[in-house]
Amino acid sequence: MRSKFFMITAALIVFSMILGACAPAPAPTTGPQEPIVQTVIVEGTPIVITATPPPAEPPAAGPKVLNYPTGGPGDIPTLDPSLASDTTSVQVLEETFVGLTRLDETTLELKPGMATWESEINDEGQEVITFHIRDDIPWVKYDAVSDSVVQVQDCEGNVRMVTAHDFAYTFLRTLDPATGSPYAYVLHGIVGAEEYNTADGAPEDVAVEVLDDYTLRITFKQPAAFNPFIAGLWTGFATPKWVIEGDDCNDPRGDRWTETGFNQSYGPFVMKEWIHDAYLDMVKNPFWPGTEAVPVPKIDMVHYVMLDAPPAFAEYEAGNMDVSNIPLADMDRVMADPTLSQEVNIGPDYCTYYLGFNTKAPVVDDVRVRRALSMAVDRQALIDNVLKGGQEPAQWFSRPGLIASPTMETHPDLGIKYDPEQAKALLQEYLDETGQTADQLQITYMFNTSAAHQRIAETIQQMWADTLGITVNLVNQEWQVYLDTVKSEDTPQVWRLGWCMDYPDAHNFITDNFRAGGSANPARGGVPYGGVNWVNEEAEELMRQAMIESDPAKRVDLYAQAEQILVYEDAVIIPVYWYTSVTVTKPYVTRTFGVGGQEHWEKWDLNK
Amino acid sequence: MGRFVARRILYMFAVILVVSAITFGLMHAVPGGPFEREKPLPPEIIANLEKRYHLDEPLLMQYGRYLYEIFIPRIDSNRPGLSLENDFLINIRLGESTWFHWMNFGPSYSSRSRTVNDIFRDNLPVSFQLGIMALTVAILLGVPLGIIAALKQNTIFDYFGMSVAIFGVSVPVIVLGPLLIWIFGVTLRWLPPTGWGSKPPYVMGVFPSTMGWDYWKHAIMPAVALGLGSSAIIARLTRASLLQVVREDYIRTARAKGLKERLVLTRHALKNSLIPVVTVLGPMFAALVTGTFVTEITFGIPGMGRYFVTSITNRDYPVIMGTILLYAVFLVVANLIVDLLYAFLDPRIRYE
Repeated sequence: MRSKFFMITAALIVFSMILGACAPAPAPTTGPQEPIVQTVIVEGTPIVITATPPPAEPPAAGPKVLNYPTGGPGDIPTLDPSLASDTTSVQVLEETFVGLTRLDETTLELKPGMATWESEINDEGQEVITFHIRDDIPWVKYDAVSDSVVQVQDCEGNVRMVTAHDFAYTFLRTLDPATGSPYAYVLHGIVGAEEYNTADGAPEDVAVEVLDDYTLRITFKQPAAFNPFIAGLWTGFATPKWVIEGDDCNDPRGDRWTETGFNQSYGPFVMKEWIHDAYLDMVKNPFWPGTEAVPVPKIDMVHYVMLDAPPAFAEYEAGNMDVSNIPLADMDRVMADPTLSQEVNIGPDYCTYYLGFNTKAPVVDDVRVRRALSMAVDRQALIDNVLKGGQEPAQWFSRPGLIASPTMETHPDLGIKYDPEQAKALLQEYLDETGQTADQLQITYMFNTSAAHQRIAETIQQMWADTLGITVNLVNQEWQVYLDTVKSEDTPQVWRLGWCMDYPDAHNFITDNFRAGGSANPARGGVPYGGVNWVNEEAEELMRQAMIESDPAKRVDLYAQAEQILVYEDAVIIPVYWYTSVTVTKPYVTRTFGVGGQEHWEKWDLNK
Repeated sequence: MGRFVARRILYMFAVILVVSAITFGLMHAVPGGPFEREKPLPPEIIANLEKRYHLDEPLLMQYGRYLYEIFIPRIDSNRPGLSLENDFLINIRLGESTWFHWMNFGPSYSSRSRTVNDIFRDNLPVSFQLGIMALTVAILLGVPLGIIAALKQNTIFDYFGMSVAIFGVSVPVIVLGPLLIWIFGVTLRWLPPTGWGSKPPYVMGVFPSTMGWDYWKHAIMPAVALGLGSSAIIARLTRASLLQVVREDYIRTARAKGLKERLVLTRHALKNSLIPVVTVLGPMFAALVTGTFVTEITFGIPGMGRYFVTSITNRDYPVIMGTILLYAVFLVVANLIVDLLYAFLDPRIRYE
């Protein structure tokens, strides 16, 4: 009798919970914090379990909308995969499209995106990657009339599926010189790509081949661990040719195809409305089947608002944003606040702040001076007193956490550290040899006009004056003028720049920047021209080996050796700090923390 | 009068020509280019982009092309809105497939799916609405404060009014904005801290389609923050001007002939004292309605203001030209209206 009563009670409770979970919008009858008393029968003996409800329990009142700020002023520059080159554009693209491969945003592991792949080396030593593309993903668009996401149909009324043709179209469109894609150069590793993009090559010679509707083969000039990443970058997301170029039943939209009303995509979210300079709304794509790397989204809509950090944080405090960055001015207050400090997360951000030397310029053409200046920078003090965002002191250039990059655990003594005594000794040696005194040294430190860079420059200026007795001359220039200056023959002795990852491999840091002709070591006709003005055959060879090496441990070792030359033996740059991202998140948000600048909202949930 | 206006409109074209020439020369003279980035683009890609936007042509030819695109109307069969290169501000349908097009300000380099005309269409109305509201706040607050301060000179009203004015001038939006947001947006939560209550398409290209509380609640704080500084200028000008006018002979005459004090003030003193105020209203109007950088960033308003600044940092040449010319047009038109108002305020002024 008694057990029967419990049985019925338990059944009723369970039944009501199921009902509650199914019903779309009933008002919650009990407060969400009230404990649920659940009675379970185990072999006839009633056991009462008391538990506070899991956060996912309260029935969703209406659609789940994530309010997320861009954190910087201004519009999203573009939603065209072939043209995007900045983090806010890529953030939207990664959620509305999926590449052939997809990066796990928290571990930087490469997972199958739209395709699985196998790789082989052909007779010419090239890497041939064959992608087997999913055949169950339809093209979709937001339909304003029915206020829902609908599948795209071709002119015969059949549902358009995402095929290998759509991917091949994007690769060729990105490389087409007429497109003028600012990011096409990341695809130059593909056979024929660089020739087509920058010279007289033909599109037919680009080694992106459609074998059948769902099989794509891409041949890379050289084997490299990061080739599959390159194929999965946004520059290779499938794009709708019929919208861009038009067909029998569509007007050609050209570069306007990304706008509200024309936009088509296939990823976990679909762009609903883009009000320029104000916000962009993305709604859940009901036709996305969910894959291991890209699950079906739990939230119904993302309201992506274009707000600078201070107003975004005000909205967060007013309860209208679910996530925000913290403006520097508010950092101390947030950390001291008992509630807000609980909502803070400090995670890595894959960027490095550094000072470069023009190694051909007077005074800093001596490696002892460069090393002394680098050793005299107290990075931790700079972080604690000026930056305040929990940044990490950098000992070398490639940010730890990237694939093949050394880490502080494996290489605690690699690179260069704050060491005032040795700095003084090195400088003294140089001064004795040249018969000068420290205050006679003329050094110019240039940065682009910005309050943040100014603070860092003044702090480092003070450190050098205190430790070495050198007073450097600070000069700043407007950003565009500055970029011209640091990559010209008038490159100042010391200059600052930062670098953020495009794809998570040390190659994208040290090699892309400091190989001869790299981004921070430009060359004209094989001769260094501006930047660090540096040639080192040994480092060059190490970087080349590291690129084609397949054993991960050996790659780390090769990059570690190259880094040692870069920051210590030749002391070409002063690595200052590795970036962190400091965010606040409301407690009702279940989230992952992206480390590469992008968030994957399909893994998030709201439990308001 | 008609001839005067016609002459001034012709004169406006001359101003635009001169302004465009100077702007064009200056923006190409400063170092840096639209396609230089922190992560530099290969020279070949830059060459591609420059070819696409005709930046590889001689400067004079580029300038000629620009003037042709903005000044010369054309009639053809192209439907508007399909191509970024041929996006005209004014499109009038003449026949089945005949269109009249005028004023192509070119594509934006930094916002690749948009044109300068898109920015005018989507962002200018927001700035215009905010600017009109701020100007209304400025006048409604500034003129009465100035009048009271002048009429009750050296009393508590005068000191209070002028204190408000000094506060308004010396506390810029960059301080007042976050302060208002903190008080009314975050602490009291009466008003939304950021955002704007209307979105495209706009009624008659300018006005919001709905005007309920949802619209006004977004506008209150930015309009007050922006209007307060201008109201201070207006208050001080009104006060100084009125103080001068009430000492004029014709005021004494008016009083001597037995006119009521209220009539003396409204019909003679006030009307005349408004001339300097109306003079500053012209440029003030042009500055407020074409967008205000700091206010728009602080309150997250999708207006034009930031394009004046970011276009220069990005070397986005068509946007630089477009914003500057837009400002010039507003300034010239506002000054024309001011000139016409003079005739109304001071009967001695006549335009022939």
